[in-house]
Amino acid sequence: MEPILTVTHLQKYYGARSSVTRAIDDLSFSVQPGEFVGIMGASGSGKTTLLNCIATIDRPTAGHIIVDGADITAMKNKALSKFRREQLGFVFQDCNLLDTLTAFENIALALTILKTPVKEIEPRVKETARLLEIEDCLSRYPYQLSGGQRQRVAAARAIITRPALVLADEPTGALDSKASRLLLDRFEALNREQQATILMVTHDAFTASYCHRILFIKDGRPFTELIRGEDSRKDFFARIIQVVTLLGGDDRDVL
Amino acid sequence: MFSKLALKNVKRSLRDYSVYFLTLTFGVCIFYVFNSMDAQYVMEALKGGNNIARIIIQLIDVISVFVSVVLAFLILYANSFMVRRRKKELGTYLLLGMGTGAISGLLFLETLLIGLLSLGVGLALGVFLSQFISVFTASLFAISIPEFHFVFSPRALGKTVLYFGVIFLVVMCFNSLSVSRCKLLDLLQAGRRNQELKVKNLGVSAVLFVVGAVLLGIAYAMLLTRGILLVDTLFFVMLALGTAGTLLFFLSLSGFLLRVCQANKKLYYKGLNMFILRQFNARINSTYVSMTVICLMLLLAIGITACSIGLNNTVSQLTSAQAPYDVSLSANRYDPETGEELPVDIPAALKEAGFDPAVQLSRSAEVELWQGQLCVPEWDESLVEHVLPLSSYNGLRSLEGLEPITLEPSTYLWVVGVEDEWMTRLLTDTPSLVANHHTLTAGGDPIHAVLSIGYSASPENYLIIPDEVLEGAGDWDTSKMYHNITYYCANYRTDVPKEETEALLQSVISDYYRSVLGEDAGSTSFNTKLNIYMETMGTKILVLFLGIYLGIIFLLTSAAVLALQQLSQAADNQERYAVLTRLGVEEKMRDRSVYVQVFLSFFLPLFLAVIHAVVGMTAANAAIAQVGKLDAAASSAVTAVFILVVYGAYFLATCWGSRRIVRGR
Repeated sequence: MEPILTVTHLQKYYGARSSVTRAIDDLSFSVQPGEFVGIMGASGSGKTTLLNCIATIDRPTAGHIIVDGADITAMKNKALSKFRREQLGFVFQDCNLLDTLTAFENIALALTILKTPVKEIEPRVKETARLLEIEDCLSRYPYQLSGGQRQRVAAARAIITRPALVLADEPTGALDSKASRLLLDRFEALNREQQATILMVTHDAFTASYCHRILFIKDGRPFTELIRGEDSRKDFFARIIQVVTLLGGDDRDVL
Repeated sequence: MFSKLALKNVKRSLRDYSVYFLTLTFGVCIFYVFNSMDAQYVMEALKGGNNIARIIIQLIDVISVFVSVVLAFLILYANSFMVRRRKKELGTYLLLGMGTGAISGLLFLETLLIGLLSLGVGLALGVFLSQFISVFTASLFAISIPEFHFVFSPRALGKTVLYFGVIFLVVMCFNSLSVSRCKLLDLLQAGRRNQELKVKNLGVSAVLFVVGAVLLGIAYAMLLTRGILLVDTLFFVMLALGTAGTLLFFLSLSGFLLRVCQANKKLYYKGLNMFILRQFNARINSTYVSMTVICLMLLLAIGITACSIGLNNTVSQLTSAQAPYDVSLSANRYDPETGEELPVDIPAALKEAGFDPAVQLSRSAEVELWQGQLCVPEWDESLVEHVLPLSSYNGLRSLEGLEPITLEPSTYLWVVGVEDEWMTRLLTDTPSLVANHHTLTAGGDPIHAVLSIGYSASPENYLIIPDEVLEGAGDWDTSKMYHNITYYCANYRTDVPKEETEALLQSVISDYYRSVLGEDAGSTSFNTKLNIYMETMGTKILVLFLGIYLGIIFLLTSAAVLALQQLSQAADNQERYAVLTRLGVEEKMRDRSVYVQVFLSFFLPLFLAVIHAVVGMTAANAAIAQVGKLDAAASSAVTAVFILVVYGAYFLATCWGSRRIVRGR
């Protein structure tokens, strides 16, 4: 099968010539359609930079990122906007909902930007809300929602446009364990029922244990890769902990 | 290091808050221009005639105090807005170990620098602009300026520096106070603090909107039926209703709009419409009061500017009608004991005082003005009117260079200055009138002309009758007629400059006053065309300049407040727009949403203010119509240009500024 995302020899340097920081130093991988991939690494390992490059929020110094057959590193600003609204869905740690809009409108906004016919909007929002179990809070404003609900609204907004790729940056970072579990359950359901391709950055081993495959990054380079295969989540979690320990430094965050 | 930091901050402030700096500069500039009136050519010309020049300068002085208070509030508002925006930066200084005293000092230095800069630029601009104003006003008076002459008023300069110095001093104190009262935590978290979001029930908005509209309707109806001049308790009730209506309008408008648009799903779910409407609705909760104030301020600006321009045109139209002859003298004399009327001889009194009418005047007319109660047998009613014998009227006609008219015996003729209800009836029915026991029939067509014998400002109607009808009249009880005033109207010689004759007359006028009345009681008046002209032109300048002065200040203030609000909101919205960008909204679409929001906040208050102004001016027109017609078209056009230039400039600056902030550059 053709991969939905291919990253080849990606490099991202910050700073001037005298003091260059190599946030990403030669990184290559690919993601197949319908995969749920996690990216892990210690703070400063370059995982957020990687996500920003794929999200076209940041431009890489060198290398190529190909999403659904199109090289996004060569795109102009206007094309990038189009690419973002048609091919990508975002879920961020601080959920980024618009506080002046209701949950329903936040989700619908992703569709109105795409100029979706009016008739389709309401049924599609309702359907997505059902999937994420937020039907009863659609008429509320973000400040009236709990953190978990907000994150699920953000997830609904991310997938309602049926993007080729959903990018999640520490989606459980601001949630308690119960809300995290609920959100990740829904991610799994999305992945299973809608064949959504999800790329999730996290430093939390528990969150990562929901993924099918995990890429570990260290100092901007690939460190190792774990594939869940037929493991139970508990076993996979234990294997993740081992790698995290090996990576060092970040194990305090696990418990 | 300290001053370097201040200098750097000022440089950044100039870029980020150019609206603030521009407003300061404009304020200084306008303040100087209007206070420098005393140095203009026109004032020299006006000083000769009467004290109108002094009145203009005094009034400008008084209004300047008011204006400086308005500007002080504006500057304080703008400044507190800037300090609020910089809270995080100030917090960082505190965190780095700078004392509150040092920070106050820093702000003090910054305010001083910005103040000095805007004062300098504003004054330079003001001096430059006052050259044009001077030439303009001179041209209004048809005063020829022999050569270019630099107009500069040290008095205005000193005053501007003093007033703005005090304002900046207040701002500095205010800054120090607000810094010393701040807590470090609040300063650092200023950016993170969530905006309080109060969301009102949309149904309530719709009801409030209707209530507001009804209140406005009542206020409008009251204004139109009662007129603008009747100031009593109901007048203030009307003002209160209008203000409350405006307030409710802005409070509920966004909710109402939202409701209407939500009903139309096609419109609501199109592009960023949903976002724009929600933004607008969320903000209105905190801005409706200021929107109301701005709307009312704009109303004042529009009203004052339009009325002053309109009145100014009316006034200049009046000049020639009001003073058709070079000079008009009047007297009536009576016995102080018996109250019996005594004859007056104005030409003789003039000659006695040293001004020989035969030498100095080219043409003159003695006019006897009577007041008579006229019976209308056909209607079984009577009316009191001004009555002029035919000879007096023909004398006036000859002064204006018109042919004398003739009147058949026992007929009358109307000279119609203002066609009121009575007059229309009299002209259509042409009834016969009884005056001093003579029955007169209508003879000849009425003459429509404004007869201004004593240079009265308001047009009146006169009944012209044959001289013989007035024979034996004078006793009110028997004839229902009495002799009112004797006028002496004349034109100066044409071979000598009129100013010379006028000066001669002015020099002997007190002698004339003494000789015309002698030892008896009575009253006398003296008016000349030149005098009236100077007075009218003085009034014209007064009305025009004060109107424009206040109008500009109000307009400037409202536009500046709106601009600052919008810019601060743009900064608050930066994150929301970042979210939109991530969702894939194109730059063009985002910019459009910014423009629409700025447009709404600028033009909604203007829209309502214009409606208020139209209603108000209709009412004002009715009041002014008594003096003359207000030139609505011309004054509206000039006012519109004014608003477009000042308001439009601020609107565009705000659009660009907001766009820059939202783009994060």
